[in-house]
Amino acid sequence: MLAIASADDVIELVHTARDTDAALYPEGGATALDYGLPARKPGYSVELAGLNQVIDYPWRDMTITVEAGITMQSLAAILAEQRQRLPIDAPFAEQATLGGLIATNYSGARRFGFGTLRDYVIGISAVDGNAKLFKGGGRVVKNVAGYDMCKLLVGSLGTLGIITQVTLKVRPLPEASALLVARPVNLAAAEKLLAALNTSLATPVAVELLYGNQFGDEWRFIVGFEGSAAEVAWQIETLQAEWPREALAEELAVIDQLEQQPGAWQELTDFSLPAGDVPLVVKFSVRPSQVCTLLDKLRTFDDQAAFQAHAGNGIVIAQFRQIPAVGACKFLLQQLQPAAHACGGYAHVWSAATADDFTRPAWWGGVRGEMVYMERVKQQFDPQRLLNPGRFIYEND
Amino acid sequence: MSIAGISELAAELRRIVGPDGVLSAAGEMLVYECDGFVVEKDTPDVVVFPRTTEHVRQIVLLCRRRQVPFVPRGAGTGLAGGSLPVGGGVLIVLTRMREIVEINLRDRYAVVQPGVVNVKLTERLRGTGFHYAPDPSSQGSCTIGGNVATNSGGPHTLKYGVTVNHVLGLEAVMADGTVCEFGGPSEDLPGLDLTGALVGSEGTLVVVTKVWVRLTRDAQSVRTMLGIFESCDDATAAISDIIAAGIIPAALEMMDHGILEALEQAFHFGFPLDAQAILIIEVDGLEAGLDAQRERITAICQAHHAREVRHANGPAERIALWKARKQAFGAVGRISPSYCTQDGVVPRTRLPHMLRKITEITARHGVRAVNVFHAGDGNLHPIVLFDEKNADEMRRALDASNEILDECLACGGSVSGEHGIGIEKIDFMPKMFTADDLDAMSRLRQAFNSEGLLSPKKMLPTAGACSAERSHPGRRAAV
Repeated sequence: MLAIASADDVIELVHTARDTDAALYPEGGATALDYGLPARKPGYSVELAGLNQVIDYPWRDMTITVEAGITMQSLAAILAEQRQRLPIDAPFAEQATLGGLIATNYSGARRFGFGTLRDYVIGISAVDGNAKLFKGGGRVVKNVAGYDMCKLLVGSLGTLGIITQVTLKVRPLPEASALLVARPVNLAAAEKLLAALNTSLATPVAVELLYGNQFGDEWRFIVGFEGSAAEVAWQIETLQAEWPREALAEELAVIDQLEQQPGAWQELTDFSLPAGDVPLVVKFSVRPSQVCTLLDKLRTFDDQAAFQAHAGNGIVIAQFRQIPAVGACKFLLQQLQPAAHACGGYAHVWSAATADDFTRPAWWGGVRGEMVYMERVKQQFDPQRLLNPGRFIYEND
Repeated sequence: MSIAGISELAAELRRIVGPDGVLSAAGEMLVYECDGFVVEKDTPDVVVFPRTTEHVRQIVLLCRRRQVPFVPRGAGTGLAGGSLPVGGGVLIVLTRMREIVEINLRDRYAVVQPGVVNVKLTERLRGTGFHYAPDPSSQGSCTIGGNVATNSGGPHTLKYGVTVNHVLGLEAVMADGTVCEFGGPSEDLPGLDLTGALVGSEGTLVVVTKVWVRLTRDAQSVRTMLGIFESCDDATAAISDIIAAGIIPAALEMMDHGILEALEQAFHFGFPLDAQAILIIEVDGLEAGLDAQRERITAICQAHHAREVRHANGPAERIALWKARKQAFGAVGRISPSYCTQDGVVPRTRLPHMLRKITEITARHGVRAVNVFHAGDGNLHPIVLFDEKNADEMRRALDASNEILDECLACGGSVSGEHGIGIEKIDFMPKMFTADDLDAMSRLRQAFNSEGLLSPKKMLPTAGACSAERSHPGRRAAV
């Protein structure tokens, strides 16, 4: 393990890696090390949590420039001093780093209302596999000068460059926040509620469908609202009046976030953290209209599984507890990925207890046409395959 | 290319798209010698109008076989010369691919061909409760393919984001003639976000043939205000304070005295001609929250000595106000025979400083600038006025424009907020980016366009791509 204190350290490290053909495995808060295939090539993990300074926070411009190793908790605390925030839900915020979240393109419940990291990263610096420090974007909220290197690096799992510095667009903290909790009679009823929400006058920031873990053997539909107190109150009232009663198994409950700290939002953020031994966690990306169909299907594979669907966005995180005898790899290839395809999307693994026997197509989903261009981009930015080799989507790794 | 070569190429292109889909006579090329950036001109050898992705594929294969450069183009409203065929070649005009292929409200997306005019999608969606958010001022004529190429903005991108925030996927013909899909209606597909990297690539990486766009729910209500100020300083300070107060208006636009004068001559809207600046401020969202926001904004304007904050009465007045704003550039023709516009961006807190600098810089060069811009984003569009019959004045206007952009960079800003680099701002790229930054961008281009036949000599100041010597600045432009 090599600790980093500056971008120059990173450059030097990549030079050394090039000379010795050692792999580099960038590491933020080490909260998502099991995201991606296991490393096979010998090398060093690059500890970036020391790269954690605030470079500039012109809060009146609602932007901030920080080093990538800053933890999400420190970042949130600094922004909160000016009543601002980055509206990306992060579990283990005291440990997880901004750079790590960007590399894994992490998102949570609030993505329905606020989007994902690609919508907030407006400037980025990284050191690529050629040991070159490059930046893209800038420090202003609107900027089309040059290619959008920010988009290229968000979700690239550290395979194109080791992210050293980031400029973010930030948002004001809301005045009020509340969650509406419903229990749909079944998944068909849940789809009715979702469809109704799609054309509602209410504008929720989170639309979650959950099953298992702390919610037990019941489906829970949780809709989050943020805004002024008047806006939040009006929306809750509206939804209570709009939603078809016959779809609900019981009366709606309202959780006023401000009165119940640390609160239900945190529960939503932590829901997907594997509680105890979860042998396989899979992320599905499907069309929003297909979420309930997919969940119905997934339940037939494992009735012990827990689910968190960011239902408004078509994202489903499934924690499987019973893996068929064929093993997790074949389970994905033969059942989970076809189920995702049938719903217009893809499935890839978040974490697996025994990852060693996984193939790349099983872990990252089937080959799409654009893969050949991902390979070509990788080749340009890391021709020696030093950065996180073997872990990501590339076939040539 | 030789005349014989051109007619041979045109004949082959006609075999692909049919006899009515190719232009090659010299006189017919004039329309295509530039886009909205008229400073530099270059005629294509042939113009071709594909109607299908297969047409585009065959055109690209043909160009590749003959080693002829090719450049995609939409409606030609771009303001940085992004669709200029530098050195000739085949101009692939996508305006005949204008089908809205699919609208899916439940999954909140639409699929359009690249030649669909931006406003046509809005019109098609009217009454559904959904809309396509990016609304560049040229939306009545610009195409969505062109918007994707330049990552277009518009007045309402302050709250809703620019084009890239609304593109879910692309189908494209690659520089080697293969057809490839990137992204799609499902979010977060595993792997690199190449869709995100292709948006804003100004036609230098792929030829986009289909776009999946996100649809946005219509706001329940809207409030539009007009803040009237005695000085630009007060107006820009109010902008900065509105943002600092954590209010995100749907739009926040500023027009200075010079623009008001032009607009009044053209449209007689009733703008106060003795005011130095006005702000068009729009908030939208839930009815329940809007009056409170309007009051806060009004209070901030008043704290900065606004003479008056008017509220638009009803939709008709709002539409008239926006019409005036979107036609502001056209109205400049009333007060000056020629003008050129810039597209710099500064942090919003630097707006007061920047407006003062614009006045100072233009005065020093003996020219005049008027301002109409996306103030909430810090995206300036100073319009420098001149008479193109006066060569010296033109040179001074250009020098002033360039100095304004230098000042934007000195403030920590960007040389382009929404118009793009094209050929116009290539020389500024090394000022904004290091050699290593530009090298990284070149390598991205290499991954998609290794032979360099697609849109050569654009965006990056790489070898062989020196921009043409500027003879004179633009005569007309419109955002």
